[in-house]
Amino acid sequence: MSSSARLGRSPARKKQKQSLGWLEKTLAGITSSIAQAVFTEEHSRKAGWLQQLDPRAKLGMFLAMVLAGSFTGSFPVLVGLYLVTLLAARLSQVPFDFFVKRVWLGIPFFAGIVVVPSIFFTPGERPLSFTVGSLIIGPSIPGLIGASIFISRVAVSVSLAVLLVVTTPWADLLKSLQALHVPQVFILLLSMTYRYIFLFLRSAVDMFEARKSRMVGWTSGKEQRKWIAGSVGNLMNRSFKMSNDVYSAMLARGFTGETRSFNTFRMEGRDWTALFLTIGVAAAAVFVQRFIR
Amino acid sequence: MHIPDGYLSPIVSLGAGAVTIPVWAIASHKVKSVLNNRTVPLLAIFSAFVFTIMMFNIPVPGGTTAHAVGGTLIAVVLGPWAAVLGVSMALILQALFFGDGGVLAIFINCLNIGVVLPFVGYYTYRLLAGRSPLLSGRRVWAAGIAAFMGITAAGLLVGLQLGLQPLLFSENGYALYSPYGLGEALPAMLISHVLGASIVEGFVTALGVAYLQKNHPEYLTTLKSMVSGSNVPEGQATRRPLWQTGLISGSVALVVLLALGLISGGGDPAKLFGTDWTTVRWSDVGIMMLIVAIIFAILVPLTWLILPARIKKVGTYFMAVAVIAPLGLITPGFAYGEGSAADVQQAFGYVPKGLHAFSSFFSAPFADYNIPLPFFNGSEAHLWQQAVGYEITGIIGILLVGAIAYGLALLIGKTKKGPGDNTIREAQV
Repeated sequence: MSSSARLGRSPARKKQKQSLGWLEKTLAGITSSIAQAVFTEEHSRKAGWLQQLDPRAKLGMFLAMVLAGSFTGSFPVLVGLYLVTLLAARLSQVPFDFFVKRVWLGIPFFAGIVVVPSIFFTPGERPLSFTVGSLIIGPSIPGLIGASIFISRVAVSVSLAVLLVVTTPWADLLKSLQALHVPQVFILLLSMTYRYIFLFLRSAVDMFEARKSRMVGWTSGKEQRKWIAGSVGNLMNRSFKMSNDVYSAMLARGFTGETRSFNTFRMEGRDWTALFLTIGVAAAAVFVQRFIR
Repeated sequence: MHIPDGYLSPIVSLGAGAVTIPVWAIASHKVKSVLNNRTVPLLAIFSAFVFTIMMFNIPVPGGTTAHAVGGTLIAVVLGPWAAVLGVSMALILQALFFGDGGVLAIFINCLNIGVVLPFVGYYTYRLLAGRSPLLSGRRVWAAGIAAFMGITAAGLLVGLQLGLQPLLFSENGYALYSPYGLGEALPAMLISHVLGASIVEGFVTALGVAYLQKNHPEYLTTLKSMVSGSNVPEGQATRRPLWQTGLISGSVALVVLLALGLISGGGDPAKLFGTDWTTVRWSDVGIMMLIVAIIFAILVPLTWLILPARIKKVGTYFMAVAVIAPLGLITPGFAYGEGSAADVQQAFGYVPKGLHAFSSFFSAPFADYNIPLPFFNGSEAHLWQQAVGYEITGIIGILLVGAIAYGLALLIGKTKKGPGDNTIREAQV
């Protein structure tokens, strides 16, 4: 092969091979995170059922339901719990397709892939099996039951988490952690972190876009990894500098290391009703699952 | 490796809080004693930084990408206690607002990724870096190995936790939570980390430390001197000559191998790795080695010349491995190609079920690892003839496997929608 022929062909092929790489993936990941946060904020301000409840009541309801889902080993009861989350989503004006898609295209899909082999490996009766050599291949009944329970439980857990986040503004959600006796400092830390995440994501997007827009042709994997490590180091330097600035700014505004927060939440009749209703449903689910298999 | 909700029994995932919460308490106490009022802004911003770098895709050879965690890098810069808090905050926000990892599983995820990873990483780094000057190359590879160890330890822990579920929580023969036992979950997590995520993390951490050495060496001191901005005793950038590094790492590897062999051989030097070395005829081994060396000297340069540029490097490595690999046949026990199911039973005490099933319906074309021709394995065949036979079958076998793998990779590459879909799924489990 002459070198000119190689030169003529290889850049195009390499470019095609590498163009949708780590850079674009990172950019896409960051953008979708930002989009998700914006979308969540938007829905948390709607006038639905869950949005109007006190965040502490919601947190309690969430924990009760997640625990119920986790302790339940019965497929019908888990399906019932999932239907309850669907109803709650409907009442809270969460778009149905978004809610279902977010849950089923995400983690349960992956969980499904993980679980599929276990259907075939779990020992037990295999009504639909065929034989290859001395191997018997077919799904076993205990494997199928275990897999369906596992997937439905993951779906319920994820649905509940999505519901909680989508119907509560992030600041309220973090503040409600106080009810669980999370120390004030940690809540301050979490909310400051959440604010700065978006600044850092923005800087990261800028860095990646700057590189992408200046790149013609392709570079070696070694160079790419070196660049990534460099941008990590650079971001680290920036974050240290920024923390100094933020500290000075806080000091200038009278920060003494103490954290105070004023609490405007008030649990009303509606909140208590919803909380006790949910705890009742959760307790019933845990009780009933002993009998319905 | 963030565990989602539903994979673990709530007893385990909430019970992990019994470890995680006290560690957080100690960590915030320790960090506060150094940082004082700076604690909140510094930790908040570094947590946001950790969150951001967890989103970075790292290009991996072969065209795929993997995510970095960066826990060890943070621990090297901020110390383990601050790293615990920083990584934990990022993990909590990921679970609460971005659906990465379960909410009930926050404690256990923070234990694995937020506590064990930075601590293992940090102390491995300190152990390996010793008192070397800040700018020495030793710190770079120390950080790399430390990151490798840290993430492997975390992955191993995840495997352990997942693998314990069916043992502890099963009903009527089916698992209530994650369905795989220790025998599957542990090796799966270990292998996927050691061969993938850990290497990436190690590389990126090492490169990150190298970058900091070059541009911001002050971050490689203690947290206290970093905040107070005192003078940094950097020392000189030293580089150990390559032959010294090679010699040292080679002898360390040899010692480790020897120790492992002695342990598995029950302390008897004649039975390293549990095989009886006295049955080996060393003159035969010498001839075998000579033949391998000759074949190596011919085939490897030949491959380099023949192969097209695109796969020249990979292909040559592959050929080198293929030529050397049959040397493994000198091990007694499986010696000279008798690795039947019975041998496996003798060596390991049991026969994997799959092997037993397959050994009956798949009879190898090159039974006994030799070419079924009288020249190679006839009763009067000289040892060198046998050796050549083993070599040839070994090379053919390995090349076949390689060709199949390459073909599969091509096929998958063709049918795949776009090259953007092959991220290693680090996020779940």
